[in-house]
Amino acid sequence: MGKGRYLLKRLLYIIFVFFIISILMFFIYKLMPGDPVEIMLGDSKLNMKPDAYQALYDRTAEMLGVNRSLVEQYFIWIGNMLTGNFGYSTQYKQQVAQVIGTPMRNTVMLNMLAMVVVFVISIPLGIATAVRKNTAFDKTVQVVTIIGYSLPSFIIALLMIFVFAVKIPIFPISGVRSPGFSGTGIEMALDTLWHMALPVIVMSISGIGGITRYVRAAMIDVLRMDYIKTARAKGLREKVVVYVHAFRNALIPVVTIATGWVVGLFGGSIVIESVFLWPGLGKMLIDGLLQRDFAVVLTMQMFYVVLSLAGNVIMDIAYTIVDPRVRLEN
Amino acid sequence: MAKKKLFAGRKSTAAAAAQRMVMGGLPQEEEELMQSPLRMVVTSFVQDKVAMIGMILFVAIFLCCVILPFFFPIDLYYQDVTQSNVAPGFGMLKVPDGLQDNAAMLSAGSTFSVGIDKDGNVYEWGTFPTDKLRRIPSSSEMGKVTQISAGLDHVVAVNEDGQVFTWGNDRMGLASIPLELRSGADIKQISAGYQFSLALTEDGTLYNWGSDYLMNVSFPEGVQGNIAKFDDNTSVVMALTEDGRVVPLTSKTSSFTAVPEEIQGNAIDVALSDESAAALTSDGVVHVWGNTQKGTGQIPEEIQGHVTAITGGRYHFTAILDDGTVASWGDDTFGQTSAPSFDSAVTNASVGYYSSYAITEDGHVEGWGLKGYLMGTDAFGRDLFRRLLVGGRMTMTVGAIAVIISTIIGVTVGGISGYKGGKIDNLLMRLTEIVASVPFLPFCIILSGILGNRITEMQRIILIMFILGLLSWPGIARLVRGSVLAEREQEFVTAAKSLGVKEFGIIFRHILPNIITVIIVNATLDFATCMLTESSLSFIGFGVNEPNATWGNMLNGAQNGQVIENYWWRWVFPAIALGACTISINCVGDGLRDAIDQKSKER
Repeated sequence: MGKGRYLLKRLLYIIFVFFIISILMFFIYKLMPGDPVEIMLGDSKLNMKPDAYQALYDRTAEMLGVNRSLVEQYFIWIGNMLTGNFGYSTQYKQQVAQVIGTPMRNTVMLNMLAMVVVFVISIPLGIATAVRKNTAFDKTVQVVTIIGYSLPSFIIALLMIFVFAVKIPIFPISGVRSPGFSGTGIEMALDTLWHMALPVIVMSISGIGGITRYVRAAMIDVLRMDYIKTARAKGLREKVVVYVHAFRNALIPVVTIATGWVVGLFGGSIVIESVFLWPGLGKMLIDGLLQRDFAVVLTMQMFYVVLSLAGNVIMDIAYTIVDPRVRLEN
Repeated sequence: MAKKKLFAGRKSTAAAAAQRMVMGGLPQEEEELMQSPLRMVVTSFVQDKVAMIGMILFVAIFLCCVILPFFFPIDLYYQDVTQSNVAPGFGMLKVPDGLQDNAAMLSAGSTFSVGIDKDGNVYEWGTFPTDKLRRIPSSSEMGKVTQISAGLDHVVAVNEDGQVFTWGNDRMGLASIPLELRSGADIKQISAGYQFSLALTEDGTLYNWGSDYLMNVSFPEGVQGNIAKFDDNTSVVMALTEDGRVVPLTSKTSSFTAVPEEIQGNAIDVALSDESAAALTSDGVVHVWGNTQKGTGQIPEEIQGHVTAITGGRYHFTAILDDGTVASWGDDTFGQTSAPSFDSAVTNASVGYYSSYAITEDGHVEGWGLKGYLMGTDAFGRDLFRRLLVGGRMTMTVGAIAVIISTIIGVTVGGISGYKGGKIDNLLMRLTEIVASVPFLPFCIILSGILGNRITEMQRIILIMFILGLLSWPGIARLVRGSVLAEREQEFVTAAKSLGVKEFGIIFRHILPNIITVIIVNATLDFATCMLTESSLSFIGFGVNEPNATWGNMLNGAQNGQVIENYWWRWVFPAIALGACTISINCVGDGLRDAIDQKSKER
């Protein structure tokens, strides 16, 4: 079985998992309080004559298909979800699909930046500690990273706010842009970047702790291997041994952890977004729950499910790329 | 040899298996140097300094949270705005040296106290709710102060010329002293209350100024001009007239207005706590009416007939007896009713909020009641230290039960899957994968947000435990499956099979003890994760809710820059507790993993 077929098989399987989870979500959707038809119609009950309202109600009910069997309802619902018809947001008085654009961009921007910062710092740091195993430098980093990954992100957030926004006020506490800001595109981007500083620092600190430790462990395992000895015996420079021979092999376990971490990062950013009032998907999810705007809540949930499954697919692809020995039989 | 005897009759019960598990397969011969794997693990763990420090730290935090709440009981529904955002410290009863043995009058405010000595100098001590309180008018301005009173966040004083001064909070009209009192009047009694001030002149007229939001003073016919004494609390003023009648100065009917008829015309002193009123009749008997829930109605029998004066705090009363001693009754949360004994007779007692002071004949001052808060208070005036203790207990309970649930599911699924193999394995592993791909935190938030609204708080906490437990078992299931796969090819399994042991028995009685260490390590690390998740959920308001405390929801109120800057104690202490706890659990988990897997130690 070739790699292509293996990937195809994984993809089909993940689509199957998606449908299983979507059934779970459908039940959550059914658990939500309130009559979906009335939510859809909003205030029109007050403005319309009772019989006209009743007719509209019946029409909408027919359209939403609430009178049909659960199985039929499920297929209507999943069909709507897959075609981008996420429902009507009572909070924004608009279709959900129209309001999620900006928050999604904000969240992706925030998480991508945090991701880049984490990998840029933690991979070299992990390699360096692995090469200098058991030195004072290694031990210090070990202690710092265990603190980094043990501390909950919101505590780091409070600390960072205290240090960088209260004591030394160099970063803004919340929001995505200075109020009343105007300027050219580059100035605007810089302003946003400035607002992103604190959330990104907080997300990075939590991430760097874990990833550094994983890179270090994986590197130490690999550096003990015979082929590393061979490479050294050949007279290769230590840099080549470490970065080319060892690191490529160490990447395999790191990829697993890193993909899981990235998926978790998006989930964890809910907390960060709520602390820093960052107008992203996480904040939208929480606001939606508090405002009982369930169409938004469910769309957010769908986003996280798709993200998590996409993480699985990426992990599979990454495996086939970094690990030539990937087990093709299953 | 004794050992041999002890284990001569090895039982083949589960209990014996468990014993063997813990003690390890003891060497049959004394000279054998073989160490059991478990003992090796323990030795190596004990030598790991970081892990041991973590272990000690965690056990200490755990014991604190389990044992200390019995010594520091907490009423979760208790709130008191007068005590909100009090900084940590124990200086509330520390009477300044200059005042000690020379005191003329003392008054206890919300979290601070004021006093004047016999020379008319003003002293202030305690925790100040506002820095404006420190701006005491200079002695050249005030002259010799004769009377003083402390309120929620302001002070009222009178000098020997009868001039009234006030400092501290100056909003809501507190600074606008009535004109009649500014130039000097014959003032008999003053009081700084809850955002308002009162002054009574010798001719029996009561003046009041300040906020009328909570309280509206209204005088029934013939009372104004005839008042001998008064007392006030946050909602009512009670006056004692010259002819011994007790009159509530309010137009609203409340439990305070139900003055017992038999004392009318016979009362000589009146006092108010926050929820009840007390009056003293000329025969030395105390009568209490109003809401007496916190024990303010439980007047000690032996003092009846011997009382000469009474005063009231927030939830307690203090009486001076005819033999010069003091008796207190009511709520004792902060030791308000634990009056000390005095060397000489008490002449004057001053009670306010949760503190009491008594001045003896020789001018000696003794205070009792609320000394301060170890870790300060939150926005609702709740003691952070006590909430931290019960919060820790709650956080750990939720984490522990969630881990127990996830471990049971994980071990069962992993055990069956690994042992049976084939189709069942495939099916169970697919299930594991599905659960593992559910986005964890969003799912917890959404479930708790949607289901959590229609159930009681207790059910909600149980729901959180189950959500955490039901979503976090895939990791442990995979681990157990892997270990079972390795173990099931071992000879002892074949032996057990040939002896006709049932499959269930083989998995759980024979294989499980061999992989128990792996399970313990994983459960330890999962415990930290579950605590973190619960805290995150509570922090953003979708976990355990108020009034129940957890470390996460204690930090919830500290989300804005103002709180972070001004009320550091509200977030520093819960953050330290939670951080120390998770760091120590992770250290223990890492140490355990290193101890079990010697290979990982070389890393």
